[in-house]
Amino acid sequence: MKSVLQVKELTKVYRVDTVETPALRGVSLEVHSGEFIALAGPSGSGKSTLLHLMGGLDKPTSGEVWLGGQRIDGFSKVQLSNLRLWNVGFVFQAYNLIPVLTALENAAFVLELRGEPREVRETKALQALETLGMKDFAHRRPNQLSGGQQQRVAVARALAARPQIILADEPTANLDSKTGLALIEHMRTLNREQGVTFVFSTHDPRLLERVDRIVRLEDGQIAA
Amino acid sequence: MFNLFSLSWRNIWRHRGRSLMTAGAVGLAVFFTLIYLSFLGAMENGIYNNLTASVGHLQVRVEGYREKREFRDLLIPNAAQVEARLATQTQASRVVALEIPALVAGETRSRGVLLIGDQQPPELRERFAKQYLAEGQLPEAGDLEGIALGASLARALKVGLGDPVYVYAPGTEGRGAGAYRLIGLLRFPDPAVEARSAYLALAAAQELAAPGSATRIELHFPFTRYSQDAQLAAVQPALAASLGPGLSLESWREASPAIAQIFNLLTPLVLIFAAIFFGLAGLLVVNTIYLGLLEHTRELGVIVALGAGPGQVTRMVVLESLLLCSSGALVGGLLGLLTIAALSGGFSLEALYGEVGGAFGLPEKVYLSLRAWDIPITLAYALLTGLLAAWWPARVAARLEPIEAMRFTA
Repeated sequence: MKSVLQVKELTKVYRVDTVETPALRGVSLEVHSGEFIALAGPSGSGKSTLLHLMGGLDKPTSGEVWLGGQRIDGFSKVQLSNLRLWNVGFVFQAYNLIPVLTALENAAFVLELRGEPREVRETKALQALETLGMKDFAHRRPNQLSGGQQQRVAVARALAARPQIILADEPTANLDSKTGLALIEHMRTLNREQGVTFVFSTHDPRLLERVDRIVRLEDGQIAA
Repeated sequence: MFNLFSLSWRNIWRHRGRSLMTAGAVGLAVFFTLIYLSFLGAMENGIYNNLTASVGHLQVRVEGYREKREFRDLLIPNAAQVEARLATQTQASRVVALEIPALVAGETRSRGVLLIGDQQPPELRERFAKQYLAEGQLPEAGDLEGIALGASLARALKVGLGDPVYVYAPGTEGRGAGAYRLIGLLRFPDPAVEARSAYLALAAAQELAAPGSATRIELHFPFTRYSQDAQLAAVQPALAASLGPGLSLESWREASPAIAQIFNLLTPLVLIFAAIFFGLAGLLVVNTIYLGLLEHTRELGVIVALGAGPGQVTRMVVLESLLLCSSGALVGGLLGLLTIAALSGGFSLEALYGEVGGAFGLPEKVYLSLRAWDIPITLAYALLTGLLAAWWPARVAARLEPIEAMRFTA
């Protein structure tokens, strides 16, 4: 399978004044196209930091990040913005929908940032919402949706843009177990039927049963 | 379907009260600026009309007249021929005037005056009479006996309507002295002018001091607005060339440089005041946009995380500021235009500056009116306020790091 994303000997150290806190210590990982991978581990193990570095949201202290054949760890702010816009989809723990936009508009947001024509945006966003069973809620604002529905809209937002990879940071953490499992099922279906590559972080053991590969992190390192 | 424009629009109305207050401040600045500019336009037009009615838009004089002291050196010989030549060149109304330093006497007293003999077209004569004639009438064209005096001059001479008045103009080229009958009393806003004003018909003045001559020929164009004054520049050179040697053609600006200077200062002064209005409104806009930025930092972090570049984030913040200012400007502008339309029929400012205003050439009634560039310049001020107010918040927004922004709590 083709490699989509690769990190090599990645370290990240947070510095506050003179205090250094290592979050990642020499992590190496390769993600192939069409994989459905979970980053597992307790809180503070470095899951979110690794996702942020993989998606170009942050820069590593050392090591390399390769995405779609490009080394991105040295990219400028503008280059990273473009990279995220065109290659990476994000799903966040707190849904992070834009409250003044409807579900449809939220799902089309990345396409708007890309400057795609209105009709294209609308078609792709509606398709994504339909795939996630949210088409009937397309014209509702986030405050008119449940947590599970909001997170499905957030996945639709990532999906509509057809990125090379979708990175999800604890997407089910704010959902009850039934809604969380349903969301993971939706993501799994997308992965199987449309070949979308997912990497998500979780510490929920029930979700780990549904993934292709589990990468366990402990104290900023991949556990043996 | 939304776009970044509608996102910005919806964002500014998330805090309706605050945005309404800020847009209201911009609206007030636009409203007051339009009223202020229209008032300035009205005053400009009023002063311009008063001034040009009394001195003309253009004046023919003897070349270098300011330096000449002798009466005879100031004379335009064959004034009727010069006037006739001008009549073939322009449709402007003409006033031929002869100013004579003279001594005016009643039965017991005398005073030094500037005696003016003039020949005015009916509309200007009517306007002059309406403005300044207190009693009686003005000497008709060709009247060789009637004289009108400033009311205070008549009191000083102890003469009333119908009384004889004697005029002496020694050393001139006419009869040098004459007896007239007082037929009109004039009131001028400036007491000094009233105390030394005496009016004859041009023919009578010429007979007295300078047969066939005048000291100035005024050209009055049918302009009612100061903005039309620019047209003078196009006709002045050709008219000047037709006069021949020894004569000059001055515009009112050249004849009254101090007043022209005041005209030049009015607009910049108003624009400085407008800048202060907008500066104050701009502070509110900065406050609103920056508070909005703080409150929506997490959202902006998400937007940046999803791929919005610094340019797009800057545009969103600037757009919010511009929309806020534009909506205020639209409402303030409409209210301003409605107010100006309602007051365009004219209103008196006499209560404000009394009769003294007339001495300074201020109009009795002002008619609010906007000049062509008043609306664009006011809107440009509003938009500039929006841009400047957005500059700092936009800079802050463009530098947001997505991870830090998404963790931000206001």
